[in-house]
Formats: sequence, C-alpha cells, structure tokens
Amino acid sequence: MNRGASRVVGRVLFYLLIAVIFVYLMFPFYWAIVSALKTQAELIRTPATLWPDDPVLTNFRAVLSSVTFRRALLNSTIVASAVTVLSLIVGSFAGYALGKMRFRGKTPSLYVILAMTMFPQIAVLAGLYAVIRVLGTPAIPSMILSYLLFTLPFTVWVLTSFFRGLPDSLLQAAQVDGATLFQAFRLVLLPLTAPAMVTTGLLAFIQAWNEYLFALTFTVIDPPARTVPVAIALFTGTVRRQEPFGEIMAAAVIVTIPLVVLVLVFQQRIVAGLTAGAVKG
Amino acid sequence: MEGSPSASRGPGGGPAEDGEGRARRDGGGRKPSLLARAEARTAWLLLAPTFLVLAIIAFYPFSRVVTSSFTDARFATTTQEPRFIGLANYRRLLSLTVRELPPLLDESGEQVVRNGQPQYESWVRVLPREPLRYRAVFEFSLLGKRYVLGAVTSQFVRAIWDTSVFTVIAVALETVLGMIIALALNTEFRGRGMMRAAMLVPWAVITTVSARIWEWMLQPTRAGLFNAVGSRLGFTDGQTDFFGSPALQLPSMIAMDVWKTTPFMALLLLAGLSTIPSELYEAAEVDGASRIRQFVSITLPLLSPTLAVALIFRTLDSLRVFDIFQVVLGNRRFSMASYTQDLLINQRDMGASSAASVVIFVIIAVFAVLYIRMLGERRLE
Repeated sequence: MNRGASRVVGRVLFYLLIAVIFVYLMFPFYWAIVSALKTQAELIRTPATLWPDDPVLTNFRAVLSSVTFRRALLNSTIVASAVTVLSLIVGSFAGYALGKMRFRGKTPSLYVILAMTMFPQIAVLAGLYAVIRVLGTPAIPSMILSYLLFTLPFTVWVLTSFFRGLPDSLLQAAQVDGATLFQAFRLVLLPLTAPAMVTTGLLAFIQAWNEYLFALTFTVIDPPARTVPVAIALFTGTVRRQEPFGEIMAAAVIVTIPLVVLVLVFQQRIVAGLTAGAVKG
Repeated sequence: MEGSPSASRGPGGGPAEDGEGRARRDGGGRKPSLLARAEARTAWLLLAPTFLVLAIIAFYPFSRVVTSSFTDARFATTTQEPRFIGLANYRRLLSLTVRELPPLLDESGEQVVRNGQPQYESWVRVLPREPLRYRAVFEFSLLGKRYVLGAVTSQFVRAIWDTSVFTVIAVALETVLGMIIALALNTEFRGRGMMRAAMLVPWAVITTVSARIWEWMLQPTRAGLFNAVGSRLGFTDGQTDFFGSPALQLPSMIAMDVWKTTPFMALLLLAGLSTIPSELYEAAEVDGASRIRQFVSITLPLLSPTLAVALIFRTLDSLRVFDIFQVVLGNRRFSMASYTQDLLINQRDMGASSAASVVIFVIIAVFAVLYIRMLGERRLE
C-alpha cells in the first residue's frame, strides 16, 4: 500500500472512531427521546424498535399536566437559583478577602476551603437533619441552606484565584481616588470578575439542580417540596400497573433539554471552569 | 456529593501565596501598621459569612454525627434520650472474621461432590453467633482450602467492598476511555466543535435521570434495548436481569457511571493535552519516533500531573456514589453512602448510621489528604 492510500485508510478509521464516540455519548439520550415518543403498546412490544412507528406526544402531555412534576420543576428552579445567588454573594466576599488582602490566617483558611470542596455529604446527613429540626425550617429553605455545603467552598476557591489574577494596580488606583475597600470591591473588581461569576454560577446551579441525597432525605416528610431528581427517581406516573417508562423518559427529556441548551450556550465557560484546576500549575 | 458529578472540583494550582509572609515583611518586625490591621479586620469580616455558613451546615452537624455515633440514638424520635454506648456501633459495623469452612463429608467420610463442585459446610455452622451474630460477606478459596469472610453487619462490609470494586474499575475505565477520546479530539478535524459539545451532554444529564434512562435500557425483557440487541446477536436469552442478578449489578452500575463521567475525564485530559507544546511532537517526528513512542515519551509524562489530579478527584467522587445505587438497586445492593442513608431513614438507626458516616469520612479523608498534598506541592513549584 502506498503512502496516500494508507493515509486515506487512517483517515477513515479515525472518523469511524469519532463516530463511535459520538454514538456512545449521545445514544442514551437519543433512546430517552425515542422512548418518550412511543405509545405504551409500542414501548412494551418486543423487540424494541429504533424509531417509533407512529410518534405521539401523549407521554409529554401526561407529564406536563402532572401537578407533582410541575411542582418539582418549580421547586428545583427556586432551590437552584437561590443557591447560586447565595453562593456567589457570600463566595465573592470570601474570594476577595482570600485573593486580594493580606492578613494572618489566610493560608489555613484556604486549606479549610479546599478540604471542604471534598467533604462527603453523607458524613453530615444525620447531623444536618437534626439542625434543620431544631431550626424548624421547611424543606425548601433547608435544601437551599444545605446545598451551600458543596457550592460555597467551590465558588470561594474559584473566585479566589480569579481575584488574585487581577492586577493590584487597579485596586491601588481606586484607593488613591479615595474609595474604601468595599467600594473598590464593588465598583472595580466585581465588574471585572463577571465572567468568573458566570462560570461558577453555572456550575453551582447545575450541581444544585442535580442534587439527590439531601433532597430525598429532607422531603421524606414533605413530598410537595420534592425537587426534580427526587420526583424522577420516585416517578409513578398515571398508570399504576407497571413502571411508566414512557412518561419517565418524557420527564427525563423535559428536565434535560434546558440544561443541555444552557451547557451548549455557555460551553466555553463551563469547560474553562471545570478544567481550571487540573492543568494550571 | 456523589452524583453531582465533577463540578465540585477545586482549581488546582490554587490561590496561594503566603499572605502572612508578606504581611510580616511589610511590618518589618514592628507592630503591624494601623492600615494593615484595618485590612485584616475587613478580610475577616468578608470571610465571616462563609465560615458562619460552613459552621452551621458542616462543622456543627459533623460534630453531632461524631457524638451520636457513640450512642444508640434513633432517627426522628424525641421520646427517648439517647444513651452513650461507647464503640458498640463501630464494633457492630466493622467486626470481621475469617473462618475455614470444613469439607462436607458423607457417611463414608468422603467429601461430597455435587455437579463437579466439592461441597463445604454452610457458613451458618461455622461463624460465631455469640455475643454478636456473624453473617457471610463472601466465600473464597485459598491454597486448596475454603474460607468464609464473616461480618456482624455483612451489608456494610459488603458495601465497602462493592464501593471499592466499583471505584477501581469505573475510574480505570473512565481514564482509558477518557484518554482515547481526549487524544482523538486533540487533533484538527471537521466536526470537532460538535464533538466537544456532545461531550457535555452526558455530563449535563441529572444523575438520577441518567440512572432511569439506563434502567429502562437494561430492562429484563426484550422491551429493554440491551436485551433486544443481545438476543438478536445471540449472547443473551432476552431475559437477562441486569439489576436482579448479583453478578451483573456492579457491572451495570459501572456502565452507568462510566457513561456519565468519562466526558469529564476527557475534558480534563484534553485541557492537559492542549498545554503540551506542539514543537515537541514535531521534533519527535523529525527524529522518526513512532506515534506510540511519542505517546509514551512525550504525552504521558507531561500529562501525568493532570492525570493524577483527575484520578484522585474521580476516586473521591466514586467513593461517595449514592444516586445510581439508591435509584436503581434500592436495598438490593448498597454503596457505602446508600447503606448509610438507608440505616438512617429506613432503619431509623441514627447511632449506627452516624458511625458509618464517620467510617466513610475517614476513608475519603485519606484520599482528600493525598489530593490536597498534590495541589499544595504544585503551588510551591
């Protein structure tokens, strides 16, 4: 075989590999969409078909008309948004202090924050439940508060390095102009860190949207407060006889599409945020 | 937070220069200036909300968990005051014993053989019953003898074992697949942008949602995709029960986890690959080094810091796995976290659940220290 031919073969094999990877990544989601479009009869017909004979929207209609599911979507939106906003506010204060100021105890504080990014949620579950009972907060505020356990340390850590990367001269210029530290923070640094805020905010939102352990545990006695992951895990649907996989898949598609759109729109930011740590020395 | 995949990673290289050192130098050994003290006060004021929140949701609850792990506290009851019982919860969770199983003999004193397999006594007759009753975790053969590993809380010991197996295999597969994907995507080709976008799809799917999608694909009838395809190709009878049969439970969990988290691994490795200067490969090309040689001599060594961080990070995440086990397997098979949650919520045994939490915390802390060390070292470079 001459060089040209072997290059063509190599190219074909390469695109074959790319195609296999693509199918692997996308197939389960494709399957969810296809299954959601099938009628109950076609869903249980064997063997399974790759494309619905007669696509129907019954499953989507059933899910969207379910009060429980709509409630879960609303709960998740409230919880994830509140967690994101709180993490960004509280986290940017701490990130500013750790990234731009000098004081005793800075290094230990940084270590505590870093250690907290790895804290296993299960280790505080029973204690957190006790705290919530003492405070008497309902399930939704409880989830908002406790989700900070995994969003806040991460936010602080990322924002600290972003703040630190900003030049000191900006801050000094502001101070020369008579701005207090708070003003310098609000007027000079905050606008500059907007991109970092978007990245960490998105990641915090996705984490909160995804969370299952706390949500499951805290809503045991308060089912109306269930968030999307819990609702999907416990989905019983409108037909009682068997697991209504058509409706579950419809629900899966409905809750995934907004997230996929969000992720694709902010693709670069998210990848930057996810990989920030592993490569920078 | 198991499940919540990946996102909680700290950027390495992290924020760290020594603030204290600089402050000391500025002070020149004298009392810190008024300005420096004002700055320190402001800094702590800014940090206060973060530490207050962490105190309420992490430090205090964890201290409660540690305390109640030494008691017989029940979950969600106020009627009975918990009693201090020392290490009894830990003893119950972690007591292990290995006993030899004697061969099962027939009347003539020969070992019974059934279906070509030599038979042994049942573990029920071998494992201790007093003061605590032991149950079998698993049996194994060594040097021609048969042994049984017994534990008082066999489910927890089994969960630790299963979680470890799950972690090792899943992380290994994710690394290999992630590396293949990263290497493929690190070249210029048409459609690269679309591939990079496709990689974020599994990552963006909620873990419980992906668990249910896989649950549907792995249905034990030919309505399930895997059984339909498997029976067409002739390697299953179309009735394979992936979640019911003990031999297939862990592989199914691993398949789900690998699908969901390989893209994350690939993204990290891809970011690492992009920092390797292309001149190195060009030089190697000139020297006539093969692709494999280039991978071994250039790519792997330069990628190893990224790889190490990614590996430890994924290991920490898998050890905490909860969502997929709880959603798909329920109480048929546990991960460490799902067993602990089950103890708390369904068995209402807060004392034992707290002890299990502490055990998990210790196991994860070992890996966390490794991770912090690694990031810390890099900061000093």
